[in-house]
Amino acid sequence: MLQLIADGLVVGSVVSLGAVGLTMTYAILRFANFAHGELLAWGAYLALSMLGILLAIGGAERMVPLSPFSFGWELVVAALVACVGAAAIALVLDKLLFSRLRHGAAITLVIASFGAALALRNLLQFLWGPIPTYYSRELQIAIPLVPRDVLGGMRITPDQLLVLALAAATVVGLHLFLTRTTLGKAMRATALNPQLARVAGVDVDGVIRATWIIGAVLATIAGVLAGLTVQLRPQLGFDLLLPLFAAAILGGIGNVYGAVLGGLIVGLAESLAVPLIGAEYRAAVSFLVIIAILLVRPQGLLGERT
Amino acid sequence: MDALLPVLSYATFFLVFVSVFAVIVLGLNLQWGFTGLFNVGVAGFVAIGAYTSAILTAPDYPNQVGGFGLPVVVGMVGAMVTSGLAALVVGVAALRLRHDYLAITTFGIAMTIQLVALNAQWLTGGAFGLQFVPRPFTETFGTTLGANAAYLALCLAILALVYVALERLVRSPFGRVLRAIREDETAAQSLGKRAFVFRLQSFVIGCAVMGLGGALYAHFVGFVAAEDFLPILTFQLWAMLIVGGAGNNRGAVLGAFVVWGVWTLSGNLLRELTPQAEQARGAALQVVLIGIALCAMLVWRPRGLIGERVGEGGKAKRGGS
Amino acid sequence: MSALAVEGLIAGYEPDLPIVREASLAVAPGEILAVLGPNGAGKSTLIKAIAGLVRVYGGRVLLEGEEITNAPAHTMVRRGLAFVPQTENVFANLSIAENLDLAAAIVKAPRARVGALYDLFPDLARQRRLAAGRLSGGQRQMLAVARALVVAPRVLMLDEPSAGLSPKLVGQVFEKLLEIRASGVTIVLVEQNVKAALAIADRGVILVEGKERVMGEAQSLMDDPAVAELYLGRSGRHAGEGA
Ligand SMILES: Nc1ncnc2c1ncn2[C@@H]1O[C@H](COP(=O)(O)OP(=O)(O)O)[C@@H](O)[C@H]1O
Ligand SMILES: [Mg+2]
Repeated sequence: MLQLIADGLVVGSVVSLGAVGLTMTYAILRFANFAHGELLAWGAYLALSMLGILLAIGGAERMVPLSPFSFGWELVVAALVACVGAAAIALVLDKLLFSRLRHGAAITLVIASFGAALALRNLLQFLWGPIPTYYSRELQIAIPLVPRDVLGGMRITPDQLLVLALAAATVVGLHLFLTRTTLGKAMRATALNPQLARVAGVDVDGVIRATWIIGAVLATIAGVLAGLTVQLRPQLGFDLLLPLFAAAILGGIGNVYGAVLGGLIVGLAESLAVPLIGAEYRAAVSFLVIIAILLVRPQGLLGERT
Repeated sequence: MDALLPVLSYATFFLVFVSVFAVIVLGLNLQWGFTGLFNVGVAGFVAIGAYTSAILTAPDYPNQVGGFGLPVVVGMVGAMVTSGLAALVVGVAALRLRHDYLAITTFGIAMTIQLVALNAQWLTGGAFGLQFVPRPFTETFGTTLGANAAYLALCLAILALVYVALERLVRSPFGRVLRAIREDETAAQSLGKRAFVFRLQSFVIGCAVMGLGGALYAHFVGFVAAEDFLPILTFQLWAMLIVGGAGNNRGAVLGAFVVWGVWTLSGNLLRELTPQAEQARGAALQVVLIGIALCAMLVWRPRGLIGERVGEGGKAKRGGS
Repeated sequence: MSALAVEGLIAGYEPDLPIVREASLAVAPGEILAVLGPNGAGKSTLIKAIAGLVRVYGGRVLLEGEEITNAPAHTMVRRGLAFVPQTENVFANLSIAENLDLAAAIVKAPRARVGALYDLFPDLARQRRLAAGRLSGGQRQMLAVARALVVAPRVLMLDEPSAGLSPKLVGQVFEKLLEIRASGVTIVLVEQNVKAALAIADRGVILVEGKERVMGEAQSLMDDPAVAELYLGRSGRHAGEGA
């Protein structure tokens, strides 16, 4: 039981990070971006390639782990470079595709994002091939946090602990950003009322760019963490897309804090549902969460009724 | 004559697929083209229809539900009913809300159906799928070509039926209300709850038609398997609608023809050009190119090849000139 | 030099369908100019085109002699030109204080500026924790004006600030505008409420079908039969107020 909760929170943290970006895009650009999952996958794979390059430059066979974690400093650097790459992809996509469709109906943007997602996913598969892989083959010893005789006990690897800590740090950082910085405030103003924000002096185009960058950076972090704690697959983004949407809707779409909460709940629900419905139906949990919340409280847990 | 035979049999094969897709795209067109509902789970609703008809009509499978051996017609009607019911569940949850929610929910149901298809051994045969789905006309005609030609005739008849039925529907007062809802959110809001009911009806009918398409597919191929209903199918169907021009039933049919033609041709070409080991990559590249084509279409030719005909109650749209 | 000048402006939502058709007007520093005209004349479009929210296809907009035609809307406040839209002119979900603080943060205005605004609008200061969406029409309009003043503009444009307000509230809002003008701010006031607008304006201009028709001293416009005619011709409802 405790173990399921711990696992659920780890998965939930990854979902939270991804869902924050998704919900921000929704708040500022006002459409559900089906290509967001692909930013996670691209971030994760860009980091993989960068890691390979760094190791080749260093002449190293493999990463020397930064104890107690399974990875070395190279992955940290690779992830940072991947953040830049994913942000560039998001910005280019916006420039070539979304910005040209913004004046029309919002649903056209959704269709476009659907097409972009397919193109991105298959391009990734074309470039990196379909076979799953790992950043590091290093085995990790799970730390027993709770002994076995208490509710089945709880063990967690240092990598998983890092995921939890990073997710928490991101939420705090994002909160400070949105409430303390001028750009953060400009983003809030744009989300509330884009026209008035412009009149009040907000460069909305700049805010849109910032939204893509932040969303892509968080997506990359989420993608790398998913690759680190599970594995790297070309469908990584596709498989996470439904949980991301479930988290965003559950929290109240457009609400950043709601997305974090929603992500943790979706992760927990998936984890706790596995003994009941079997691991093969794990992915359906998000769908049930979406249906349930839409029927009961469509504005989401933290959303306001409009 | 003998030289013509392979061509003829290939053409029949190709046209059966085109007409099956055209039926499904007509259902999608009712939802998107005439009501503005964005369904990302088309493959899921097609799958429900295919599996339903297969289970209702096929002989007994060991350790599985089914073995009803009912006539194919019953299977097709059953397919429409189950797909429509699935649409009802999704629609009730999502159609009161902004369009994006329908997109997300239909995406979700398609994923869930894919999981059921893959894992519910007792119902869907799991990874093996359902074999021995009855193929009409195979006994009446000795040759495959004859049977296929007869099946093509059946598909074309059903396509014509669906086409006429939907044309009449969208020209009726009901259809005008749908278009009004699509064109004008405020008009939709003033209809309030009734707008929701109209949307729901359109959505359920559209999905039932997709289910029918699924059944037609199953009875042609003779088996159903989960991998036939991957998201790529949804994408292909959407490409057909967008290329043909949403809001125009003739366009929907044309789109099915054009996109399936381009898809098969480019697929064959890629298979010729890429070495055996790289086939998976080649296929991925094909999707990339068509994905880009779809996006380009949205940007440069949003009304499709034909687009909505002007002066049919709805406002004439600009663009696509 | 005019505080704000518009020369032969052509603007609209589609290039082949201009709403503002070669309109020209000028506002002297420290003046209140009333922009009047029947419903649909293009007043809002004109003012939005000046503010950079609607595309200008021809002509020029000059702010204190400097050309600002088609400059991005968000740069206007930094240039000293503030705008109060007719609708959705406050962040409804935020409190009064949050509205003003947010507006100040966006342009990095000094904190003292918000304090000074509370002095100018004591009513707002008293309820600063209240959500803007729950304010009465008059107070919401006051907040919208206060928000625009956060940047200490030299020219302030308002789109129908009297819309939906009772005559008493209109009086209060316009009273405030006079106070603001007294502090040296030039004001462009788009109005349907001809009588109230001309009562506080120095000069007025009447826009008909996207072009200025009659221009002159507020007092002379009030007495001008042509004005009444323009309104009578378009819309009888305003004739009573205008004449
Ligand atoms: N967003 C818009 N898109 C297209 N046309 C518009 C838009 N807003 C206003 N119009 C048209 O511009 C014309 C002038 O409107 P407006 O400037 O609001 O007039 P006024 O403020 O004088 O009442 C009207 O015919 C109106 O239909
Ligand atoms: Mg107006």
